[in-house]
Parts: sequence; structure tokens; C-alpha cells
Amino acid sequence: MKTLWRHWTSPRFRVPRAVLVRLGTSLLVLWGAVTVAFAALHLTPGSVEQALVGPNTITPQARAELVTEYGLDEPLPVQYGRLVGRMARGDLGESYQLHQPVAEALGSQLGPSLQLAGAAMALAVAASLTLALLTAGRGRLVRGLSSGIELVGVSIPTFWTAIVLLTVLSFQRGWFPAAGADGVTALVLPAVAVAVPLTALLTQLLRDSLELALDEPFVLTARARGLSDLAVRLRHALRHALLPALTLAGWMFGALVGALVVVEEIFARPGLGRLVLTAVEGKDLPVVMGAVLVTAALYVAVNIVLDLLYLVVDPRLRGAR
Amino acid sequence: MSRRGLLVPAVLAALALTLSAAGCGARQAAADTLVFAVDDEPLVLDPHASPQDSAALFTRPVLDSLVSLGPDGRIEPWLATAWSISPDRRTYTFTLREDVKFSDGTRFDAAAVKANLDHIADPKTQSRLAAHYMEPYTGSTVVDARTVKVHFAKPHAPFLAALSEAFFGMQSPASLRRGPDVLARHVVGSGPFVIERYVPHQEIVYRRNPDYRWGPATARHTGPARLARLKFTILTEDSVRLGALTSGQADAIASVPPVTVRRVRANPRLRVETRPAPGGVYMYLPNVTRGVFADRRVREAFRIGIDYPTIVRRLYFGLFDPAFSPLSTSTPSYDPATRERWRLDRAAAGRLLDEAGWTGRDRQGYRTRNGRRLVVRWPFQRSVAREQRAELAELVQAEARRLGIDLRIGNVSQAEYFPRYAAGDYDLVDYVGRRIDGDMLRNLFATSFISTPDRFGQNGARYSDRRVDGWLAAALATDDQAERADLYARVQRRVMDESAAFPVYVPAYVLGVSKTVHGIGWSPLAYPTFYEAWVSDR
Repeated sequence: MKTLWRHWTSPRFRVPRAVLVRLGTSLLVLWGAVTVAFAALHLTPGSVEQALVGPNTITPQARAELVTEYGLDEPLPVQYGRLVGRMARGDLGESYQLHQPVAEALGSQLGPSLQLAGAAMALAVAASLTLALLTAGRGRLVRGLSSGIELVGVSIPTFWTAIVLLTVLSFQRGWFPAAGADGVTALVLPAVAVAVPLTALLTQLLRDSLELALDEPFVLTARARGLSDLAVRLRHALRHALLPALTLAGWMFGALVGALVVVEEIFARPGLGRLVLTAVEGKDLPVVMGAVLVTAALYVAVNIVLDLLYLVVDPRLRGAR
Repeated sequence: MSRRGLLVPAVLAALALTLSAAGCGARQAAADTLVFAVDDEPLVLDPHASPQDSAALFTRPVLDSLVSLGPDGRIEPWLATAWSISPDRRTYTFTLREDVKFSDGTRFDAAAVKANLDHIADPKTQSRLAAHYMEPYTGSTVVDARTVKVHFAKPHAPFLAALSEAFFGMQSPASLRRGPDVLARHVVGSGPFVIERYVPHQEIVYRRNPDYRWGPATARHTGPARLARLKFTILTEDSVRLGALTSGQADAIASVPPVTVRRVRANPRLRVETRPAPGGVYMYLPNVTRGVFADRRVREAFRIGIDYPTIVRRLYFGLFDPAFSPLSTSTPSYDPATRERWRLDRAAAGRLLDEAGWTGRDRQGYRTRNGRRLVVRWPFQRSVAREQRAELAELVQAEARRLGIDLRIGNVSQAEYFPRYAAGDYDLVDYVGRRIDGDMLRNLFATSFISTPDRFGQNGARYSDRRVDGWLAAALATDDQAERADLYARVQRRVMDESAAFPVYVPAYVLGVSKTVHGIGWSPLAYPTFYEAWVSDR
């Protein structure tokens, strides 16, 4: 035991220790998310049973069957314990409303959501990098114009962007299908709608930090070495500017999930959005829990990836700490 | 069974599928394909289990029924060629067609009918609607392959009409045996179409059943469907559905929003078809057991002192008709005389409120009694309110104010609503319900349909009257349509005289459709059907 502790605290185990601590806290985050969601669903008025039956007349026998099938007659602490136990074993249970294992329900909807989120994120990053590199440190007119556009981009609701895109590019021009998830063309409009506010926000931040970096003495040195303006921006200034953008990107993931719900609904795309909405409304506990767990896990994963990216972008972090 | 590790492969599979699918713009469908954009989708497909109208709509192309219902309310043959009812009205004997096959190859026979009815009644199905429509069902007996007897514990007259609905659609017994998890997303029947694929939240695609030659007696067309393919796209957003129709991406759309009906009608390529829905109209129900509406005079003031017909005509541009009975005009047993029994009389309403003791006025001009304001509490579910019902509520609120009544329109979620509803903690609720039989009145006004925490009932007025209960029970026990109509007319007049309901408008299905689409039919529940539909050159 003692030797184990010595190994644990020895400098050689710095990295595995960090990884283990990180995993431990991630598990705590997941457990916390599940517990809060469970409490929230039970604190809102109305029983699960009432929500499941809804405004319908059900025979007493069928009602009894429903209650026993899902163990709704058990005390809440028992239901909670059962739930956490199941989740710890990786079993997400069976949806009350859909007659489907939660893993299957989430699995079939997660793909399209991830695809949309990934496309929107890639679009936002590419667009904001280009815009920021082009406009940072330029004349007042260019900057004023672009920050004006960005302000609009951040402020207009995703819902509205989606409807305008649809009306012009689908209903009037017929370039893109209005609905569905078949193929790349069906992905374009929803991805753009989600990406607009993200791009606006990222561009603003990137440009500000690029401008700060461009004022640094090392930029002057680089220029003195005869580097072109573009090379200075790309090779030297951008690296510095990326750090705050990475921090923001982690936060943006949360905002992204909200935007997905709206956009999936409008474009009739399969995805987690509508699945979760109907689950919350119908108090479909297993689906809500599963969705919370998956989203929280993704959030944790994204942040771990971002931490690694910090190391790539900023060599200073790679040395001894 | 462990479902560990299912998530990752499922995600990968979904990703691979979507990525591999080739894309190409907003294409027009082939001429023998019809695209219908709907506004709602069922949680589970199986109509034996689901209470949702959308479950009936989604499975109607696939499922045939034992009988069909003619436009005049008469029961016509479909999969059953003939039927008889025993003298004690507790046993129905059906003679079946012999040439019918389910699309999975299973033969349709007496055993299949028994399997279907038993499946609906089985508590394990957890039926939220169909089982209730045949609650006294005790079982079926197979006499021979062509003959089946259906038994009830007591007479249940609404049974035959209910049988014509998709909620009682005949499914392949082999498919039924696969259990609720499979039936939730795939249903196999003998209908003119077969489900090709169903992608929840996106679309359901059907292809023609080439063997089909057993359409209902009510159809003009015989043989296989004219359309080779039929696709329902799920577009919940009103403006998106409308855009899909105007841009030709959809051939027909469900629920054209009333505000945009004029625009659709003005478009030379489109038309609007409406069909009044049978059953309960959109109505407000006062809680007659407690609060201000326990006093019949206050209820009557609220009924005759508010000009519902004018509000409805102005708001819906004549799309929906004002209602005067809790039963819709297209329900058999609707009593047209109810129309003559309502007259706007604000002065009389004021007098009734005076008589009830609400004589004082507070600073805002509302009536008071012993210093307390005349408040009507209405837990309104704004988030699920369709068809501009929120605007409608505000117009009614303004008129109530003229009478000195403070109508408080709440904004509650579905989860908040049910416990309050079950406990009777409200003065007013709104209700609408589709059903093809006058027995709807039993759901609305029978004592046994007053909600308790253990049993939901549609009797939102919490109305209880022994005479009404008697008429409603008597109407179950007779198959004489004239006698039933008379009993239901008595119920309608009685509850209106008692002001136990405030009928507002007759809901209608509003279908927006391209002029290239022909032959869309209507189910008894006022949903479009596609067996006879076809598309001319676009």
C-alpha cells in the first residue's frame, strides 16, 4: 500500500496521475448531471404516470401494466438507485414512450446531430479564421463594417436565420431541399444557420486577439527578418490569438446544443433535439437521462480534446509544470 | 439482455449511412409519387396502442378495417362482407372475405381478427385509446376460417363505427407476435400500401401493395393504389410546411395555418380542402363543482354574454364554423336544434350576474361580491395551443371583461396541467376531441369520466347528472340509430341548458394541396386518405 502511494506521488507518474484525476472528475460531472436531471424531472409537477397516460382513457388493467413494467410504483430513492446502478453498467434502459432501448433511440439520432454539429463547427472555424485574418489591423472602414456584421450575426436568432435561408435558397431558388437529412445538400442550410452566430462571435474574438498579437515586439522582429505580412499573421500572430479562441470553443459547444434543437425542428432533420423535447414533455425519464449523460460525456470529451490542443498550440505548456 | 456497447456501433452505422447517401438539390418527385408534409408524428406507430391521431394517419395506408363508414354514417363492408348482432346485443358475428392476404404473406382469416382484437384488449399492449372504445370486450371465438364471433359483457353500440377507424386496423398476426418494440416502428397490414422505411423525426415512405384488390365498399376505385409511392415528410414548422407546398417540394400539406389560407387560395397552382372533424368541438368547459362556475347563473352569463360566433368568424375568416353544441356538425347524432337555443344577450348576462350577487365593481371595472373580484382561473397550455387558440382566448377575455369578469389565462406546461386537472383545481379548461360516434358525449359528460388522480376522464366540467348518465347508458344499449340520435339530442340540449359547456368552433382538417393532385379521399375521422389519389403531370 505504501509503495503504491509512493509510486502515485512520484514525479514519474505525473502524467498518468493527471489523467486519472481528470477521469475521476469527469465521472463526478456525469453523476452530477444525471442527479440534477433526475431531481428536475421529479420536482416539476405531475407524476410520470400522469404524463405517460396523458389526456387519454386507459383501462385500469393497462394502467397497472404500465406502472409495473417501468417500476413507477417504487419509492423515488429506489428508482434513483436503480437508475444510477444501470447507468454505471452502461445500460441506459428502455424508453417509457417509445418502446425502444434508450441506447438505440439515442444512437439513431446522435449521428445526424453530430454530423450537423461538426459541419457547423468546421464552417464557423474556417469562416472566422479567414475573416479575422483578412480584417485584423486593417483600416477603420473594414473593421467597422465587419464588426457591424458580426454584431448582427450574433444578435439574430437562429430560428430567423433558418427561415430566411429556407425561404430564399430553398423555396425561391430551389437550390437546396427544405427538409430531410439525405446527402450533403440537405446539410448545407442547417449548418449555415447554426454557424452564423458562432462565426460572428469567433471572428470578433480572433480579430481582437490577433490585433493584440500584431502589436507584440516579436512581430516587429519577424517583419524585420523580411517575412511577408501574410506569413507574419499565419505563422506568428495566429498562434497567440488561438488560445482565447480555444477557450471560447469549449463554451460554444454548449450553445451549439441549444441551436441544434431549434434547427433540427425547422429542417425536419432527425436528431437529438426533438427526441429530447418530447421526452422532457412526456417525462420519459430514461431518454432524458440518457441524453443528459451522452451530452455531458461529449462536453467532457470536447474539453479534454481542447486541453490537448492547448499543448499543441502553446509550446510553453509542454515543459515541466 | 445487456445493451452495453450498442451505442457506439449504432452511432457509427448512422454516421456511415448519412455520409454515404448522395445528395442533389430540391428535386421534384416522380409523377407516381406523392409527397405529403405533415405537422405531427406519433411516438409509436402501433395504432392499437397509441391514442395519437398521427398514429392513425400514418398507419391508415397500411391497414384495412373490418368495416368502413359511409359519408351518411352507415356501416359498409370492407374486410368483413356481412355481420349480424345477437338479440341480446352482446355478440357480433362477422363473415370475412376469403381472398385477403397480409403483405407478409400471412392469410387474413377469423383467427387473425381474434388475434387483433385480443391484442388491443391485452393489458400488455397498454392501449391508450382503442381498448377503451371496446371496454366491455370479453373475447372472440373462431367459428371457421370465414366466421368470427366477438363477445361483450354488455351491449356496446359504438363498436361497429369504432371498428372502421385505423385504431382498429387489422395487422398481420405474425407481425403482432413480434411485440411492442417492433410494432412501435413497423406495422404490417393488408392495406394498399406497405411501409418501406420509417425514419422518426424525418419521414415515412410507403410503396404500393401490388396484390391489393379488397378496398372498402365506400371507395370508387378498385385494385391496387394508383400511386407507386407515398411519402409523408414531418415538417412541424408552419411556415416551412407552407414554403414546401408553394415551392413544389410537397404536393400536399397538413394543417394550413388559418392566417395563410387566403394566400394559398390566391395561388393559381394550389387549392385548400377542408373537412369538419367529427367528435367534440373546440370548447371551454366550466368547473361546475367549485368556484364561480358552480353557480349556474354565472355559467349562463358566460355562455350568452360572449359573442363566440363573431369572434370565431373574424379570427378564422370563415374557415372554421362557430359551434353551438359540444358535438361537431359532422358527428352522427349532432342535434341541429342546438343552434336555435343560443342567442347573444349581454343585458340578460348582466342581470344573471347581478342575481348571483356579483353586483359590486372594483376600480378596474370588474364585478365583485363581498369585496372579492369575479375571477375565472384558466390553466391554459399555451405551448401546445394550435390554430391561434391563444389569440382566440384573448378575444374571449376582452369580451368577458365587458361583462365584468376577470378571465385569467394561465400559461402552464402539460406536466403542470394534469395534476391540476385531476384535482379539479380550475374554473375553466379547454378541450377538443375527435371521435366518429355520439358516444363522445359520454366521455364529456358522464359521471364516470370525471378525472381522479388515478383515472383521466374527459369530463372537464366535472358534470354529474343522473338523467344524463341514464340517457348515455341507454344509447349504448341500442343499435337503432334514430333512438340513439334522440337520446344524444336530449343530452346535448340538457348540458347546453345547464351551461355545462361553452362550444367555440368546429375544428376542421385544412389540407393545402397542389392542383396536380387528384382523388384524395377522407377517412371518417376527417383525415386525408391516399388509396385513390394520383398526380397529373407537373
